Amino acid sequence: MARVLLEAQDLHLSFRGVKALVGVRFSVSEGDLFAVIGPNGAGKTSLLNVLSGLYRPQQGRVVFLGEDLAGQSPQARVRKGLGRTFQNLELFRGMTVLDNVKLGAELAVGGYTDLAPKAVQEWKIRRHAEEVLDYLHLSPYRHAPAGALPYGLQKRVEVARALAGRPKLLLLDEPMAGLSLEEKQDLARFLLDARREWGVTLVLVEHDLKAVLELSTGVLVMSYGEVLYQGAPAGVRENPRVAEAYLGRSA
Amino acid sequence: MYRLSQSLTDAFSRRFSRTVREDYRQDEAYASTPQGRFWLAVAIVGLLLLPLLLPQYPMFVATQILVAALAGLGLHLLVGGAGQISLGQAAFVGIGAYTSSHLSGDLAPLGILAGGLVAALIGVVLGIPSLRIKGAYLAIATLAFQFLADYIFKRWTDFTGGVAGRKLPAEGTMLGLSLADDRVIFYLGLFFAIPMFFYAKRLLSTRAGRAWFAVRDNDLSAQLSGVDLVRSKLTAFALSAFYGGIAGGILMHLIGAVTPENFVLSFSIQYLAIVIVGGAGTVLGAVLGAFFIVLIPEVLSVIAGAFGPQYVAQLSAWRSVAFGVLILLFLILEPRGLVGLWGRIRDYFRTWPLPY
Repeated sequence: MARVLLEAQDLHLSFRGVKALVGVRFSVSEGDLFAVIGPNGAGKTSLLNVLSGLYRPQQGRVVFLGEDLAGQSPQARVRKGLGRTFQNLELFRGMTVLDNVKLGAELAVGGYTDLAPKAVQEWKIRRHAEEVLDYLHLSPYRHAPAGALPYGLQKRVEVARALAGRPKLLLLDEPMAGLSLEEKQDLARFLLDARREWGVTLVLVEHDLKAVLELSTGVLVMSYGEVLYQGAPAGVRENPRVAEAYLGRSA
Repeated sequence: MYRLSQSLTDAFSRRFSRTVREDYRQDEAYASTPQGRFWLAVAIVGLLLLPLLLPQYPMFVATQILVAALAGLGLHLLVGGAGQISLGQAAFVGIGAYTSSHLSGDLAPLGILAGGLVAALIGVVLGIPSLRIKGAYLAIATLAFQFLADYIFKRWTDFTGGVAGRKLPAEGTMLGLSLADDRVIFYLGLFFAIPMFFYAKRLLSTRAGRAWFAVRDNDLSAQLSGVDLVRSKLTAFALSAFYGGIAGGILMHLIGAVTPENFVLSFSIQYLAIVIVGGAGTVLGAVLGAFFIVLIPEVLSVIAGAFGPQYVAQLSAWRSVAFGVLILLFLILEPRGLVGLWGRIRDYFRTWPLPY
């Protein structure tokens, strides 16, 4: 059994009366492709926001690499290797694709004091960024402003930026939403390659059940902030509670 | 005819092949092509020779452009870079000017540097509100700072000389050169400006610049890409103020005196206009913007003068109107500013005479 990378222990989060997370607990091991699924409003994105430090849970702990992350800022968590992409594109639209990826690459290559630019370090960052661009077939667009690219490519740029930082674990919020079938297949291939080549563990929130069941090694099903099912993807369809949440009671 | 088109295409491919960059290192350099390097060298040598070619008054205007470009560049790092709007740049120019007025003579360069540093320090303080407020609200906060600075310039007589200001000794010298000579001031200005322009260009294309652009475009996502928001914003404010402060020191030596009316709100707006007219996003924009903003009033008054002296007073009112209309036209017709216009002209001639 590979070592446990990320552990959520009894997470509770509520906004006034709305309970977004109710006692969510799960763990992700190194090398996993862990999928979080559930109907709209199930608390999936809230869960990712708690993990990456944008929301503070009222109760419970997030343990990453054996360390409690409570009180650590989002950027501190990113520097520790907990990457994140967003559901609605949060690219730097005015920056070129290359600059977007370079910004991510700084995390992996290591920066320098920003007011004293170092050419050697900058070239290293560039080489690293180009490698990632090449990998995700983005090289032809490197000097284009990210905001000017078509949607599918923007999604890919966001994944490239996150992967360039070589996170140990990458939280992906609906990376495939709104993509065409080919784009989905491409992206899935890129993610699987990244996992194999760079040893990135992936946690992804996804609506496309078929993609999830084919790709993932572990699944967490949520509904109204509660965990309905956790385990192998094969068991999802058989689980009566999942069927109820997705298809309705009469089914 | 075939021959002609063949030789044209050949000449063309040769021209393009010179602009090919063969590795990433070349792509990251200041001027990545031989042509670029050539024009950069020409520009710098031209600047150094300029005082030998021009008489006093044009040199006075040239130094004014230099000052405006430097202050505009500072504001550009903040507004075009980090996306934080500031209406207080003139106050930083003033802080630099007053500080450096206390160290003149042989110590003039040191005084200018000190002016920059003091301005940078106060810039950090002004940057603190930007950690909590954004956009128009931040602009109002910097506006308040502008008025506060104006008040202090007028009231703190021990340091600033009050409304009358401070006057430098008329026969001040630096290393045996007269500081009353605008050419000397121009060289003094270049001594600061050239390294600072290269530094700004470097910063914008490396880590600091990326962090600023990230903060400008999307601060949530910047945080989750490992950008330290506090540090990025504060360094942008500090550097912007530093550039303003240095510009102030040079301006003080150019005028030979320092009075509060050189640092009022309308100058802050003028610096903002330099950034907008020049085109946000590049260092060249600050230079072109400064040229435009400083030269147009001069050109317009020359035109007014050409009609005859009796019209000058009458036309001076129209001068401001013409100036305003020009800026408006710019914003409507070329939102990317002079840099965008220059890019279009360059692209046109690059492919001329075979545009396809």
